Amino acid sequence: MKALEKLDSHLKTRLTDLSKAKEQGRKVIGYTAGGYLPEELILACDALPMCFIQAGDNTILKDAMAYTCRWVDPFWRSQIGYLTSGKNPYYTITDLIVIPITDNHTRAFSNTLGFYTPQIESFVFGVPHVKDEYALGYYLQGINRLKKKLEDFTGVEITESRLKQSIRLCNRERELFRQISLMRQSENFAVASKDFVALNHGSFIADKVVMVEILESFAKEAKDSAPLSKDGPRILLTGSTLARGDSKVMDIIEDTGGVVVMEEFAEGIHPYWGTVKLDGDLMANLAESYFMNRVCPGWFRPGTERLYFLIKLAREYKAAGVIWYQLMYRESYKVESYFFPDMLKKETGLNMLTLESEYDAMETGTMKTRIETFIETMRS
Amino acid sequence: MADYYDELFKLCGFEDEEIEEERTRIEKTFERLGIGPKDMEDANSWVRQNHDVTLKGVRKLLGAWLKELIDLVLAKDDGKKIVYIGFPAILGPGLMLSASSEDVFVSAPDMVLDHTMGQIFNKLTPILEAGEANGLPSGHALCSLWQAKIGGVAMGMIPVPDLALASSYFCDMGSKADDLVTAKYGVPVAYIDGVMDSKWGEYPDYLPERVHYLGAQINQALKKASKVLDIRLAPDAWERSQKKSQPYVNNLLRLLDLMRADPVPVSMVELELLEALSSSSTGRGIRDGIKAIEILIHELEGRVKAGIGATEKGAPRVMINFGHTSDPRVTHLIEDVGLAVPLTRILAWVGGPSFKVTRTYHTPGEKIANYELAAGMFHGTDASIKRFQKGADLMKLDGFIVNYLYNCRPSALGSHIYKKHLEEKTGLPVLAIEEDNFDSRAYSAASLRTKVETFAEMLKAKKKSAKG
Repeated sequence: MKALEKLDSHLKTRLTDLSKAKEQGRKVIGYTAGGYLPEELILACDALPMCFIQAGDNTILKDAMAYTCRWVDPFWRSQIGYLTSGKNPYYTITDLIVIPITDNHTRAFSNTLGFYTPQIESFVFGVPHVKDEYALGYYLQGINRLKKKLEDFTGVEITESRLKQSIRLCNRERELFRQISLMRQSENFAVASKDFVALNHGSFIADKVVMVEILESFAKEAKDSAPLSKDGPRILLTGSTLARGDSKVMDIIEDTGGVVVMEEFAEGIHPYWGTVKLDGDLMANLAESYFMNRVCPGWFRPGTERLYFLIKLAREYKAAGVIWYQLMYRESYKVESYFFPDMLKKETGLNMLTLESEYDAMETGTMKTRIETFIETMRS
Repeated sequence: MADYYDELFKLCGFEDEEIEEERTRIEKTFERLGIGPKDMEDANSWVRQNHDVTLKGVRKLLGAWLKELIDLVLAKDDGKKIVYIGFPAILGPGLMLSASSEDVFVSAPDMVLDHTMGQIFNKLTPILEAGEANGLPSGHALCSLWQAKIGGVAMGMIPVPDLALASSYFCDMGSKADDLVTAKYGVPVAYIDGVMDSKWGEYPDYLPERVHYLGAQINQALKKASKVLDIRLAPDAWERSQKKSQPYVNNLLRLLDLMRADPVPVSMVELELLEALSSSSTGRGIRDGIKAIEILIHELEGRVKAGIGATEKGAPRVMINFGHTSDPRVTHLIEDVGLAVPLTRILAWVGGPSFKVTRTYHTPGEKIANYELAAGMFHGTDASIKRFQKGADLMKLDGFIVNYLYNCRPSALGSHIYKKHLEEKTGLPVLAIEEDNFDSRAYSAASLRTKVETFAEMLKAKKKSAKG
């Protein structure tokens, strides 16, 4: 698709573009994955948001070993490796790193940043793990502090009109992701999961205006294209993290004839189901949308909201099975993976395959066997 | 009439009349735990091998844990409404609940099983295996304390609680495992949520909103607990809980003052028995524990005067993260290689180096939250390290052993930072070792020996050369 080619070409020059923007006095604000940072705030102060979403390469974990033990989830160890090794240019180009603290794996990164690289300016705020009025209030206080920090850091006031403008832009992006994703509910669709994921990953790095244009083109192309000629079982793929560079599971599913029709991940996929309201208190609206209305990740307690959402997605996307792809030592997901299959089976009759990864090439063989068997089971 | 278990109970500080009084309950408990006459010889020798039973205070402490075990196992039979608290526990809420109703039994059952089925009966392994088979498999760095809890329930050793009070302010594993208990047994959960979102270097400061949030969560959890348990939270529950726990803290401070002596008068294995008691029990365990500490203090004062110690005078002094909760041999190892252990980070949290509680709050939740954030444990890694660092001055340390828990993220994520920070700030050597503090199957004393022994030799040589 042409839209994807445009994205590819945009990303190829993205670092150069960011450097040029920096020369012109604009700030690059890096932030950690998880979907709890309202990019609107960064855009509203004319800065450039950039999410650290790269992982999947086992070698970077060795770099991280000098700073943390192996019992942290490999995605977050990768971030520690990239941060400290200078091997990821997106880290070195960043002027300020913002970390919404979600669980203890994020905290491992935050501690490393604070202790080992104090020269890098950072800002942290907390994301509670329950949904109630106090938690919403706490999250709102956090993003209000972030707003102040960004204003001080960039010297640009986040006015109501600037914030409204950036919310409109991000709403459009979410709306387009939603629109493209929903196409896959039909029997005949032209959106390959790998393309959808590539769009998501690209959107964490790309210029927001360019990204929206790309999504517009993609949506149009997808509508006009012939359906994918796939007759394999429809798969709902879910887990904590689907990083840019971690395509192993998706590749194997595709190679073995499965068709991923939905991806539900806390890190690596934009939360695109909601829209931020444009009337009333905009900061409160951001909190409402990013924290309260969003379906929570597995580290929320209780995690039932997400589990029932998965059941709903499985039904609406007519999934024939669920593949639960978790990273080693992400305990919230591991524990849920024990009791969710029963819920899923009871509600939908579907089976679930659980896979775990340490981003190790050695896993590929066993993963392939397990996925092949799972897909064959669904075919029979 | 004497029975096969009398000797063990006497060894664990029970008086004859106490045994008589408890006999029916002991037998019922043993039946449920699968403990019989064959286990007594092992238990007797296990306790004698691992604990300083020449001290009456130690025996009484072991007894306090046994009483807590009996009350835990029989809580349902006793008609109690049972609340399980997650570990590490903020002290106040559980105490407030038990102060509000005689019918409520609040406990950290995993810690009770570790200290009794582990430290007294040496029969923890099957319980851990049951935990592994019921949702918390091995090989995934999942919390072994939770394996004990889930295993204990799955084996029918301990009752299914009426409510879980989840420690959502510290680890992710605990609260998620509470979800597992809900999924398996339908137990309602009151989450006490908090976010350890401090910026590096922020401690001893903390944002007032953190107090408000954690405080509101505590208040809300207490409200939910009252509803679920159908009890009225006593208006003076906070004051009563304070009254209940303050003597414990006061005694602990006196005890730690004695640990400043050279030689240290008692093994850390014995202090570990009490370091966990305060946050595991709100009933007989803590009441008897307070009395036991008083006896222990008296005995240790005598030892200090006489210059008697658990290790040699002049032995290098190290602070450790925590003592082993289920297998004392791991903690003993440090002392066996010639190091004195006067303080742990957990003891320091409850009663170690002083800290300032600067703000004033009015609701119980906020008062508790404010105290806990000032104390550092639930503030963040930076705070914990600074509390560790302060221990160096208090106890005139020669080094640190940072025995971090591999399967506890809040502990493991500081694995490297602790060492570097403490070495830089105190100039003292630090040994960082990976451990499972609740389960010695994979991290036994023998497996850790080489590292600890080498570190000890180095500290001894350093101390010797400093003396000239």
